[in-house]
Amino acid sequence: MDANGETASLKKRKREPKDEPSPLKRHRSKSKSKSQANGSPSKEMKSLVQSTVSISHPADDDMELSGTLTTRNELAQVPSAAWKVSNPMGGRMLDIDPIFSPDEQYLIITYNTSIQVYSTVDSLLVRRIALPLATSEPGANLSAVHIVASALSKTSPDHVWVASTDGRIRHINWTSGAGVDAPFTIETKKLLDMVVESAEFGDTTKDVLIVLQKLTGSTAQIVAYDDKALSAREGKLLHTCDEAPRLVRSAANGKLIVAAAKATLHIGLLKKRKATNSLDDLEYRFYSFNAPDLVACMDIRATTRTTKKGAIELGQVDLVIGGARGAIYLYNDVVSKLPSDGFNSSKSGSIQPRKSHWHRQAVHSVKWSADGNYLISGGYEAVLVLWQLDTNKLDFLPHLSATIENIVVSPGGSSYAIHFDDNSAMVLSTEEMKPTTYVSGIQSLVLSDQPSKEAMVRRVWKAPDEISTPLVTAVNPLNSSQILLCVGNGQQATLGGAELSTPQLQVFDISSCQGVAKHAIARTNPTDANITSQGAPIVEPRATKLAFSQDGKWLASVDEWQPPERDTEAFVTGSKTADQVCHERREIYLKFWKVGSEASSLELVTRVNEAHHTNQPETIFDLVSDPTSPRFATIGNDGLVRFWTSKLRRRDGLATTGHDGQQLRMWSCSRVVPLPTSVKQDSSIQPGVKRCRSGALAFSEDGSILFAAFGEPSEATIVAIDTETGSFRDVVYGMFRGEVRGIRSLGSCLIMLSEDLAVYDIVSDELLYSFSLKETSKSAKNLTQLAVNYESRSFALAAPIPNTNQDKMKKGMKSELVVFSLGDQEPKLVQTFPQLITSVLSAVSSAGYIIVDSAAQIWSVTEGAEQAPLLQPLANLGISEGVGAEMEVEHMENVLEDGEASDEEMQDVDMDGDMEEDYDTHPAVVAPQRLAEIFNVAPAFAMPPIEDIFYQVAGLFSAKPVQP
Amino acid sequence: MAAEVLPLAQLKLPTGPSPVTPEQRYWKSFRNQKSHTSTAAWPISHISFPSTGATTSNSLVAATKINDLFAVTSGPRVDIFSIRKREPLKTIGRFDSEAHCGEIRADGRVLVAGEDSGRMQVFDVGGGTRAVILKTWHIHKQPVWVTKWSPTELTTLMSCSDDKTVRLWDLPSNTPSRMFTGHSDYVRSGCFMPGGGINILVSGSYDETVRVWDARAPGGSVLTFKHADPIEEVLPLPGGTTLLAAAGSAISVLDLVAAKPLRLITNHQKTVTSLSLASNGRRVVSGSLDGHVKVFETSSWNVVSSSKYPSPILSLSVVAAGSTQEDRHLAVGMQSGVLSLRTRLSGTAAEKARERAAEQAARDIGPDALERLDAQKANRKRKVLSSKAMDRLGENVDVVIPTQPTTTVVNADGKVVTRRPKHRKKLKQWQRDFREGRYATALDQVLDTSHPEYFPVTALTLLVALRHRSALREAIEGRDEVTVLPLLRWVGKHLSDSRYVGVCVDAAFHLLDLYGEYVGGSDELAKQFAALCASVSREVEKATMAMITSGMVESLMIGGTE
Repeated sequence: MDANGETASLKKRKREPKDEPSPLKRHRSKSKSKSQANGSPSKEMKSLVQSTVSISHPADDDMELSGTLTTRNELAQVPSAAWKVSNPMGGRMLDIDPIFSPDEQYLIITYNTSIQVYSTVDSLLVRRIALPLATSEPGANLSAVHIVASALSKTSPDHVWVASTDGRIRHINWTSGAGVDAPFTIETKKLLDMVVESAEFGDTTKDVLIVLQKLTGSTAQIVAYDDKALSAREGKLLHTCDEAPRLVRSAANGKLIVAAAKATLHIGLLKKRKATNSLDDLEYRFYSFNAPDLVACMDIRATTRTTKKGAIELGQVDLVIGGARGAIYLYNDVVSKLPSDGFNSSKSGSIQPRKSHWHRQAVHSVKWSADGNYLISGGYEAVLVLWQLDTNKLDFLPHLSATIENIVVSPGGSSYAIHFDDNSAMVLSTEEMKPTTYVSGIQSLVLSDQPSKEAMVRRVWKAPDEISTPLVTAVNPLNSSQILLCVGNGQQATLGGAELSTPQLQVFDISSCQGVAKHAIARTNPTDANITSQGAPIVEPRATKLAFSQDGKWLASVDEWQPPERDTEAFVTGSKTADQVCHERREIYLKFWKVGSEASSLELVTRVNEAHHTNQPETIFDLVSDPTSPRFATIGNDGLVRFWTSKLRRRDGLATTGHDGQQLRMWSCSRVVPLPTSVKQDSSIQPGVKRCRSGALAFSEDGSILFAAFGEPSEATIVAIDTETGSFRDVVYGMFRGEVRGIRSLGSCLIMLSEDLAVYDIVSDELLYSFSLKETSKSAKNLTQLAVNYESRSFALAAPIPNTNQDKMKKGMKSELVVFSLGDQEPKLVQTFPQLITSVLSAVSSAGYIIVDSAAQIWSVTEGAEQAPLLQPLANLGISEGVGAEMEVEHMENVLEDGEASDEEMQDVDMDGDMEEDYDTHPAVVAPQRLAEIFNVAPAFAMPPIEDIFYQVAGLFSAKPVQP
Repeated sequence: MAAEVLPLAQLKLPTGPSPVTPEQRYWKSFRNQKSHTSTAAWPISHISFPSTGATTSNSLVAATKINDLFAVTSGPRVDIFSIRKREPLKTIGRFDSEAHCGEIRADGRVLVAGEDSGRMQVFDVGGGTRAVILKTWHIHKQPVWVTKWSPTELTTLMSCSDDKTVRLWDLPSNTPSRMFTGHSDYVRSGCFMPGGGINILVSGSYDETVRVWDARAPGGSVLTFKHADPIEEVLPLPGGTTLLAAAGSAISVLDLVAAKPLRLITNHQKTVTSLSLASNGRRVVSGSLDGHVKVFETSSWNVVSSSKYPSPILSLSVVAAGSTQEDRHLAVGMQSGVLSLRTRLSGTAAEKARERAAEQAARDIGPDALERLDAQKANRKRKVLSSKAMDRLGENVDVVIPTQPTTTVVNADGKVVTRRPKHRKKLKQWQRDFREGRYATALDQVLDTSHPEYFPVTALTLLVALRHRSALREAIEGRDEVTVLPLLRWVGKHLSDSRYVGVCVDAAFHLLDLYGEYVGGSDELAKQFAALCASVSREVEKATMAMITSGMVESLMIGGTE
């Protein structure tokens, strides 16, 4: 907050004390008892004066400051000793091949903001290496900077090379995280792709980076760099291609380079030389020819042979490309078919490939198997296709969770790493096609850096480039480290256009940073084709609201579906627009779920088809849960507040029981409270002209009052409803400017969010303070969110920082989080986030907030000395490498000894050796959260006896007896 | 990982105002009605079968297990029926006047019945077509309406008579062992209380009281409940603490421990004439002169099922049989002299009935279907045999490898559960067509009303799924005059159902859009469109009427509040 009390997204309401408080014209109508108590005019006046005084401030400043971005430096001056923001965790896996370490013990995955190293044995995060992507230079277009390639160093397997679009290349030791802060920078407009090869220069072997960099609008150069050249920023130009090339690949120690530019392939062969002493001695002969389709992905399989003289020369080279239209083209022994007349820049020649077509849309990844007998490919169909080349036989691994983005064959060839579009990666063993490692991050929508491979061809759909709706989330009240997010099937969910599909609920454990489970809470079609015959994606329902009951046993959700406009052309008649027609056919469901232990299972108990309806289903504005009893309340566009309670399910007066004899419950509406509509609307009934109304709900902390805000823009009223009787305790008018976006109750105060943020004391009838928000566009308004933490008596507001250049919530937009303590109008924390905040959650049973951003990262905001509940990578915990695996072996021994000890107490240890081997080959895989459950039950001083803990851990690791 | 292919789930429609409950389904399963008309159409006054009650001796238990008899009293006759065959075995006609309350003893050997003349007779039931009179009492001077055996003692019985007395009898002696006086009018109903041995009796009289008698206590009744109407029937619940009494058209539930009425059930329109226990005492069935049979559950006395008979009901009984005493017949005796027997098949009998039905259906379709059915049967038989062989094999080998692979799963509680993979349901043809994108073919199949598996809701399920998949238009377009008609007919037929109307409207829009221009060229098409138009205008008319009514009601409401 700067000197005039302004943050990047908030502006203090300026009002001179003598001003007519017109925007806050307030009329109170009270129940009798109250109006006698404090409804006297003098009191009213006094409170108004108080409120205006409290919000006044030095008037000498210019209040119409443009919303310039508050930079981090300025923020550092804000005294926020009490509140702190943790480092982010998670992120979104990029469309870059994951890297196996040479021993296949680790999987290195490139995220949008970090490199993360996972152990393949137990799927645990070993190290997270954050990459500072933002340049220090002002004016740099931040949105453009992203990582484009990462590759393992050929000379030292502990290092990876990571290249980002702004031309910076980092040489990072992934075993220690060193090298992040000292990037090499090369001069380029945009770095497009990079591969790493090694070359012998004299006696030394060095890494050579072959970089594809943009030259002009559509041309690009292939440039080679070694470490000297990187420092000198001057590489060796190998070739220039036109038609906007995107991909470069190499094989056989750099003897072969292939670049793909739209439908043209450029193949470069290393010229033979007696000796290469420096980078300048690398020379390539390039050939180019046309491929039958746009190249979406490719893979090279090259063999080398040793000549009689002892030199290594290129043997057979097989090239496979995946087309943007779904076909796979295979060029067998491509080098021998190249025209022999030497350099050929004009695309005269073309080589006839072998075509195989199974994929409906672009092939996202195609790879050779280790032995060269198979091709492995995947794409939008979520099917892993194995092509046996000799027999033309196809094998499928169908119905996977999401679009396959990348496939990598492990160095030994015994497993495949697959990266899915839903932000997860999996290692499959080739023998059984069973997953051995699974890494899954937050699957919410992100603002992606690269266009999808699908977008290479014009499609009937167009992916939106902004996030316009907040992420629907909830925290499990029984397990504070579990958050539930309504997600779609990865980025694919955006393909429906404006209607986002989020039919699934991801249970995400923030303390282990792993997805725990995924449930379908609305209609999904995992086993059916996901496009129509016209090629349009099928729109699935969108979950819009989510709330846990106070006891954590019930979950309520709201989902909406409406047919896409393209289906409704036949229904448009008369004066109806397509939009209205779609609206009439909406399906809005309110669902109540019984939550199993640890949110591992959800059972649909009741589905209410049209909870709020007039002559058509109406939007449910808000769904809240009573903080004191299992009860929910909803407010809809029909002007009703409905209370929902559970009751025993009866049939003819008999309680029905489930399979195991427990009594079944069902949810039903226990009370309907019609809200008073504004006078204006009553007087002028204009059919057809419907103004869009908005509403919000908040339970008071003791659950005795439900505050309902409802009405047309700027005319919304707040009604305090007695939850016992359903009568109105209080009605407050004129508190909102524009649409109601949220209300929260904290103590005696009501925090209201519209185009203003206002804090109003309901008991003393006093407006404590208010700010007006600066944001401009509709989607920015949607993304403005409010959360309340009862523990710390604070509330947090997250709002996008307005950007004068763009209205859309695109990549590059930032958000601001402002935390207020209830009694204080000076914010406790003002923090700018480099990405859009899509969800703010109040942490359960601790004084903090959890924040999810548009880069699928998760942040924790905590007060005071509290520990952030986020996961620490193993490396940060001070455990040396490989301990993960060793620890298990140790446990195994313990288990073994324990077992033996029961009958032969003094058993000698000499058996341990071979038993250890046995277990070593079959290590038990234990989900990290199971361990966490044991060790995180209580603080250290209140832990159960060490013996109990030991047996619990032993129970986890010992093999389950196989049932006969 | 890879998700399993499941058939398209049937649409769950909102339940209507009265959904069919499992209870109703259970009572509907009493089918195969068989009627007997009594000689000269005498009204059926009483139906009874030996109740098990709290049996004392083992021989008694054995006897009830094999019991196959129930007695039906009508006019001056008592007919003994076989439970298994549902046919009269013998008739006892040795009464001078109207007979009452023919009751078979728990061991199924003897029967007692009262008479209008006041005589009580005990007959031998077993052996011979002509029943032998074993004992005769002529102590009552007025008609005897109730004669009942004690459920525990074989030699004890009770009687109630129009002479306002209730008497307790011992079979060998010629005089009653105890006489209870206190009723001031005809005693028309009575019973031993379960749990009370032979000592506690209950009776209901036309003096509108229910009295509880204790043979150990001297003097009058130990408990009296006064009602508003003459008592027609009393029925104690097996617990021995609750008593039902039919007084006029109401049934009162009386608590003997708290000595107070619990509830008054007023579901019948006319006098309730008979009560019977069912489902091992967990349900009560009542019959009334209004011709209704109602089934009550015994915790909060709600009606769970109800059925109507053509004539006033005088007597009913739910005849239980078998070792588990499950309900076998619903026997209802009517004023018209008709005894209606409805039977519920269970266990092997039900299985056999199903098989026969399937065979008949296959025969109707044709010889191919019959062959297929036979092949299926043979296959099943082979499987049973092989699994049996496997079982036998298991006796002397160490490891048996099951034919079906099992999966071991750790469930939510941390227990290891071995699960046999469920036999995966095969997709039906239309489901497969739908999955593989042949939408029009799939739609044709579900709209085929002649198909044995045709259900309107299946068609609705598919149409809704097509809408969700943006494929409704694709499924409808490209049809010719013949193939478009079934859909047009279906839409016209189901337009009036509020649960179907949304999809019907969409389909109708598409039909009009696609085929409207061909109406001039095809008579049949024009006819169907006209029919559709007519049903739409009918609906519009209904809606208008509803709007008018609601307007009137609203104005009334406003007038009322002011």
